[in-house]
Amino acid sequence: MKKFLHILRFEWRSLWRSNTLKVLLIVTLGAGIYGIYFGKFEIDKQNTRIMQVQQYERQHFDSLLHWATLDTTYVGNKEKLEKATSPVGVGWNKHFTYYIANVPPPLSGLCLGQRDLFPAYYGFNVTSLHKQIYVGELANPMKLLTGNFDLSYVIVFLLPLLIVALFYNLYAFEKEGGTLLLLRSQPVALFFTLASKGFLRFVVVVILATLLLILAFLLQGISLPEHTALFMKWLLLIYGYCFLWTLVMGGIVWLRQSAALSAMLGLGVWLIFTLVTPAMLNLFVLADEPLPKRAEIIHAVRTLNDKNWESPKSFVFDQFYPENPQYNQGDTTDFNKWYYASFTLLDAEAKTLNEQFEKQVAARNKLLDQWQWLAPAAAVHEKLSSIAQTDRNSHLAFLQRIESFHQGLKDIYYARIFAAEPFDYDDLIELRSGLEF
Amino acid sequence: MLKLIIKKEFLSSLRDVRLQVSAIILLSLMVTAVLVGKEGQKQIQKEREAAQSAMYDQWLNQGNKHPHSAAHYGQFAFKPKPVLSFLDVGLDNYTGVSVFLEAHKQNEVLFSGAQDSNGMTRFGELTGALIFQILLPLLIVFLTFNAFTKEREEGTLKLTHAQGLPIRTLLMGKIWGAYLMVLLLFIPIILLAYLLLDQRSSSLDTEVTIKFLGLTAIYALYFLLFVMLSVLVSAFSKNSGLSLLTLLGTWIIACIILPKATTNLADKLYPTPSQFEFRQVIKEKVKNGIDGHNPSDVRFATLKQEVLDQYGVSTIEELPVNWSGIAMQAGEEYTDQVYDQEFSKIEQIFQQQNRISEWAGFLNPYLAIRNLSMGLAGTDFNHHVLFAREAENYRRAFVKKMNKDMELNHKPGVAYADYGVGKEMWSQIEPFQYRLPGTANILANQWRGIAALVFWLLSLITISAKLSAKIQIIEP
Repeated sequence: MKKFLHILRFEWRSLWRSNTLKVLLIVTLGAGIYGIYFGKFEIDKQNTRIMQVQQYERQHFDSLLHWATLDTTYVGNKEKLEKATSPVGVGWNKHFTYYIANVPPPLSGLCLGQRDLFPAYYGFNVTSLHKQIYVGELANPMKLLTGNFDLSYVIVFLLPLLIVALFYNLYAFEKEGGTLLLLRSQPVALFFTLASKGFLRFVVVVILATLLLILAFLLQGISLPEHTALFMKWLLLIYGYCFLWTLVMGGIVWLRQSAALSAMLGLGVWLIFTLVTPAMLNLFVLADEPLPKRAEIIHAVRTLNDKNWESPKSFVFDQFYPENPQYNQGDTTDFNKWYYASFTLLDAEAKTLNEQFEKQVAARNKLLDQWQWLAPAAAVHEKLSSIAQTDRNSHLAFLQRIESFHQGLKDIYYARIFAAEPFDYDDLIELRSGLEF
Repeated sequence: MLKLIIKKEFLSSLRDVRLQVSAIILLSLMVTAVLVGKEGQKQIQKEREAAQSAMYDQWLNQGNKHPHSAAHYGQFAFKPKPVLSFLDVGLDNYTGVSVFLEAHKQNEVLFSGAQDSNGMTRFGELTGALIFQILLPLLIVFLTFNAFTKEREEGTLKLTHAQGLPIRTLLMGKIWGAYLMVLLLFIPIILLAYLLLDQRSSSLDTEVTIKFLGLTAIYALYFLLFVMLSVLVSAFSKNSGLSLLTLLGTWIIACIILPKATTNLADKLYPTPSQFEFRQVIKEKVKNGIDGHNPSDVRFATLKQEVLDQYGVSTIEELPVNWSGIAMQAGEEYTDQVYDQEFSKIEQIFQQQNRISEWAGFLNPYLAIRNLSMGLAGTDFNHHVLFAREAENYRRAFVKKMNKDMELNHKPGVAYADYGVGKEMWSQIEPFQYRLPGTANILANQWRGIAALVFWLLSLITISAKLSAKIQIIEP
């Protein structure tokens, strides 16, 4: 133990004296802080956008509420009252557009994940949901391609490089510096000395990683006491990842090659883990399991829609009323009734197809997951992203939430539409209470 | 003499076991990337072609109906997978692949591959471009980092110099020797890719061969730049270790860190508005007029008066043509105008963002080749916008045709449900066909990349010529 500490002390001194370590640490720390700042910038942008739509939504709804109380003896008020209380809207304009946001989870600024591929909010009214959620967010595809310089990127890509840089000449330094023979003549085993030196470097990396994660929480204003579990999960994962890279570099050092060759080998493994294997997996999976043909959802729905318009009455009686007896008042002469009934059928059709496609996507992703061990960098990144709730599954969960919100809307709207009644003030208050203000 | 040096350099690197191993790995990666990539591209293109023609069949066989209902039924445009995308997949996974074309609405091109994949996609796809742009330069670094330092350390540089070999000739020899080695890897892959080129696909792209040759040329130039740079660094480095460190550092910054930092910076300099703002502005302008003083009800009232005056009648019912058809087309055209204006603004912003990485090519040749290569492969932003435009123009044309028919043939007084047209009408709309832009168009867009590569070449030549005399012969 004494020897161990002795080696550590001297090794630390010589490491600290060489500028290389300082430069490497400063560069990594700088990149990390930039990543933290960048992640915050992106999440702030998403939050601003969400706030913008919610503000618009609130103002808009409050004016509806106001209109609902207007005295109709004044000219012009009648139209406003009708706009506010007609569940089907006036003319082809619908009653109200609701905006539901995927509020960034606490750790999203550390790993933006797949969030930039999807809108952070969807706007929709009570009519067919699927017709309204096939939208994207405006994003430069070039930016999506190059990806985000967030903390997870620094951890997954740059920390391993730091480890490679710290370890590659662990053995070669002694050999090429001529101190190897001196070391060998010591009563301490060479392996012990090298392992202690390696241990010190591992500790340096781990301290740096911990520091970065704490900094990230501080600089992004994430409450550590509230999210200790998330913090610990990330930390453990990062430690594991660093340990894996330490093992890799240990293996390379064990080969006892020259500094140049060890550096190349380290970089080679880095390339394979972070670049080549994920890219290869993507290539093979893409060729093997094609992407779902999503346009078919739109096509299937328009065809059904076409059929519905051809025989507007029959499907209401044959399908909608049997499935939703609570709305059956016996008559379908009203245009709005069969029109709104048709949306339910269209959404059901879209949902069935979408579930099929999601199964296909799941099979694809499962295949990727099976081979993920070949690409540890991608695996760790995916895991960090899923803890931060910024992966694709988190988005799917958000879509589920949208669907049930829309169902809630339908319950309120359809009750009035099929009773051929306008909204009363309490209905509007109830609708307002469902909004995320 | 030069030939002798080139031969010596070439042969000695050919005999180096470490290089043999890395070359074999690289070669097999390239073969895999090209073969599997081509297979994937063919399959995707086949699927999209099939979908496109199936959807057109649906259009033809939609049965008898009102032309406006047909415009609502709509059509689809599928983005063809460019033939050369198997060499550079570019933005293809991040841009949508199909767009639904219907009356009244400019839909987005939707369903990008990245949205349907987990986070692994973000690590890229193994293509020729990825290997040429990122991995081959690394091999060049390993090939040349000690080109001079080793000879200096071993004292052979002193010997050859003493024998009267000009240092410039040695520099040239080192460069060409290493370059020959790179070409030895590059040429077979290019030949293989050429054999796989689908010449029959000319209906989509008539200039595949020219673009392919363009790609070959720019990559050949890119490798030459890296070889020159790498040999020069070796010539001016104190020792092999330092040379390797400099080169690897440069590689990491140029190929891994800078590209991300550049796009992120561009996004900060030219912020992208949100979809919500974009749609809101369009809605507002359609409602109140582009100038804000021409609300839609006034616009329609004016139009109505004009039409009534034109036919010399006083009410819509007396018109010999269908007013709804006229009004609907006028509405379409006004919305189109607003949409074009706003869409151009967004496109402008994205172009400005992309320009930054194009200009950055003068600092970082990786960025220059990346953009240029995507352009020639038909997978850059410009190609995406062109497709979206073509699809939108197609939409406008067929919706207009439907509205025109309604205007002329759906007589006033006839109920909507009682007027219908059939296949004869539908078949007057040609199927959607999209051709990739020509090489001239691409080069006009991507000239900065070419300029950057040429700039690098000239700078490196100048440096080699001017500074070769200053290369240290002996260890300092």
